[in-house]
Amino acid sequence: MTKASKKSKWRLGLTLLTVALALAGCSGGNNGEGGGAPNANDEGSGGSAVKPVNLKIMWWGPDARHQATLKALDLYSKQTTNVTFTPEYLAWDAFWTKLATLAASKSMTDVLQMDGAYIQDYAKRGLLEDLSDIDLSGIVDSKLIEKLKIDGKLYGIPLSHNGTGLAYNKADLEAAGITLPAKDWTWDDYFAFAKEARAKLPEGKYGIADNSAGWDWFQFYQTSQGKDPIMVDGVKFNLDKDLWFQFQQTYEQFRKDKIVPPAQVQSAFKENDPKADPMASGTVMTRTATVGSVSVLEGMLPGKVGVVNNPTGPSGGGWAQATIFLSVSSSSKNKEEAKQFVRWFISDKEAGQALGMTRGIPINEEIYKELEPTMTKMDTIGKDLLNTALDKALPFYPAPPGWEDFVKTYQTEMESVMFGKQSLEKAYENIVEKGQETEEKLSKK
Amino acid sequence: MASKSSVVTLPAKARARRSVISGRQHLAGYLFIAPWLIGFFLLTLWPILRSFYLSFTEYSLLDDPTWIGLGNYEDIFLNDRIFVQSLKVTFTFVLLSVPLKLFFSLFVAILLNKSIRGISFYRTAIYFPSLIGGSIAVSVLWRNIFDLNGYINHVLSWFGIPAVGWLSNPDTSLLTLVLLNAWQFGSTMVIFLAGLKQIPSDLYESASVDGATRWRRFFHITLPMLSPVMFFNLVLGVIGSFQMFTSAFIITNGGPANSTYMYALFLFEKAFKNYQMGYASALAWILLVIVAALTLLNFALSKYWVYYEAEGGRSK
Repeated sequence: MTKASKKSKWRLGLTLLTVALALAGCSGGNNGEGGGAPNANDEGSGGSAVKPVNLKIMWWGPDARHQATLKALDLYSKQTTNVTFTPEYLAWDAFWTKLATLAASKSMTDVLQMDGAYIQDYAKRGLLEDLSDIDLSGIVDSKLIEKLKIDGKLYGIPLSHNGTGLAYNKADLEAAGITLPAKDWTWDDYFAFAKEARAKLPEGKYGIADNSAGWDWFQFYQTSQGKDPIMVDGVKFNLDKDLWFQFQQTYEQFRKDKIVPPAQVQSAFKENDPKADPMASGTVMTRTATVGSVSVLEGMLPGKVGVVNNPTGPSGGGWAQATIFLSVSSSSKNKEEAKQFVRWFISDKEAGQALGMTRGIPINEEIYKELEPTMTKMDTIGKDLLNTALDKALPFYPAPPGWEDFVKTYQTEMESVMFGKQSLEKAYENIVEKGQETEEKLSKK
Repeated sequence: MASKSSVVTLPAKARARRSVISGRQHLAGYLFIAPWLIGFFLLTLWPILRSFYLSFTEYSLLDDPTWIGLGNYEDIFLNDRIFVQSLKVTFTFVLLSVPLKLFFSLFVAILLNKSIRGISFYRTAIYFPSLIGGSIAVSVLWRNIFDLNGYINHVLSWFGIPAVGWLSNPDTSLLTLVLLNAWQFGSTMVIFLAGLKQIPSDLYESASVDGATRWRRFFHITLPMLSPVMFFNLVLGVIGSFQMFTSAFIITNGGPANSTYMYALFLFEKAFKNYQMGYASALAWILLVIVAALTLLNFALSKYWVYYEAEGGRSK
């Protein structure tokens, strides 16, 4: 970057800042007036004085979710005239970057979407409000609520059911005469399926992808065999050497036999990109999917997608539970209003209609039933996936905070193996070294 | 000379009056630049100092920073294999892309310096892509071109050549990004073009009278006369390449197998993916030291090849 362009960037930035401040000033004034007007009306019609409240709310997601949520917020403002919203919606990465910054400056939004992978971290730092006192009877299954509690407190209202499994290209598999994956198939079935697909599919097409670089893919294998997850209690490193080599050697052999795509094809995949998605592009017959995301795949391959649960072992396979929540910030000045809104968000029927399936399968059975009559295959496929995943599901084990480097190392080391630049033994050594280093660091805290 | 002496002999009274005015003017001046000053102190200087402090702490954004002395630096230099890898990638990128870009932009500048009909059209047409510069759109375009199913592989398939994973193979991914960087030659080329225009044409005329060939004229007139411009572009190119981020972030996200894991991307992920702000700050300061050292080296070496006409030949 040249000095000149840096300077002009600053200048531009400052101008924008000035404009933004000016605008903020204006809109602030307007809001005050706007908030005051209906208030006066209420008083006129004999109601008691309600103080106008502006709730800041932030969530992540795709555009459809943004539009639906904005509609729901409008609806709430109409029903509850003293509440207005300042919404902010971002993509996943940007959301967490922004949230961490807001948390650091003690200015998190009143209401915010939370994820299962992060909620512990935020709750333990006292950034989230305990929501146990919200009455959810008849809205959410009380057993489910108990499961979600952290140290006896509820830090997020679950919004939807989620779960994991595999989607498969039913039409193409049938056309090639390959046995379709069946519910509760085992890892052996899964690998046998891959071999059969190799034998019956033309060159350049594959039964399964080469997921050997994903730490969580192996974790599914390890936990399905009755072992603990790779990161026990968030701090202990636990990689089963024998299982790992057994698993990775299978993939190594598969790479040799062209049962999985070659490394350069595998690393060019981009999920949910119509041209580069492993399954939508027609290259691979199966793909991992979640309840929340499988509809995208159905959208790209209409009518061709079937779903099955994760390969299982003696103790089960995959996971199925709520992963998206609405939380209330502990620094909010409008906690009561925020709590009311959060409850409304999962219980109001009109809101349910506006939100549809944009956050997955609504946690509230009643809302789901309301939506059911108008559902298309794109909506129901998520439910199908959930149904197949539920009974064998194991707990959800996301990477706890502090393990980011480990995840990255795992991927890099395994990619080197896939490209034939490193032996499995060497990769194992490096992965274990990083795991132990992380464990050591975290245990010091 | 005249003006100089008049300043020296200014009467005392006049001097006093002038300083009063200038005092008031000072204030007004500072007020006028206050937005910039505030911006500078608050948004530039303060964050810089703060990041220096943070580089000696462990800071996750969610907790308060805790002082760990040289801990981050120790970790980076002694334990972090990814640090070494990202340095390797970045140095390779700089070593390949800077000369390539200089060469390419000089070549184009020379072509555009010809006086042929419609030259201003060509200049506009060739500079035009640079208006969209290093933007995300260009990166996305580049991905489409070099993707496994991209245009290049499509064309290759006409000749029966199997698809190459330009971006998805660790052997070629970095080179593809180097190529993109060289392709964004616009501003460098414009500076070269301005430099070429500055070379007095009588030098070329007298040389050709003496029977100098095109090549001789290029090597003995154009290159020496252009060397200060070349030096300028070199210094900026090295600094810019070290900070390369957008294309690695958008096109390859550092992969495959960390083959395009540029230093700036490494720093970004440490800060905003892992929330290791202290560690990332330390990385930023190390980058500053590296870039400063290389710039100093460039200046030191410049006396061996940069020719300043105004100073009568090879100079300091």
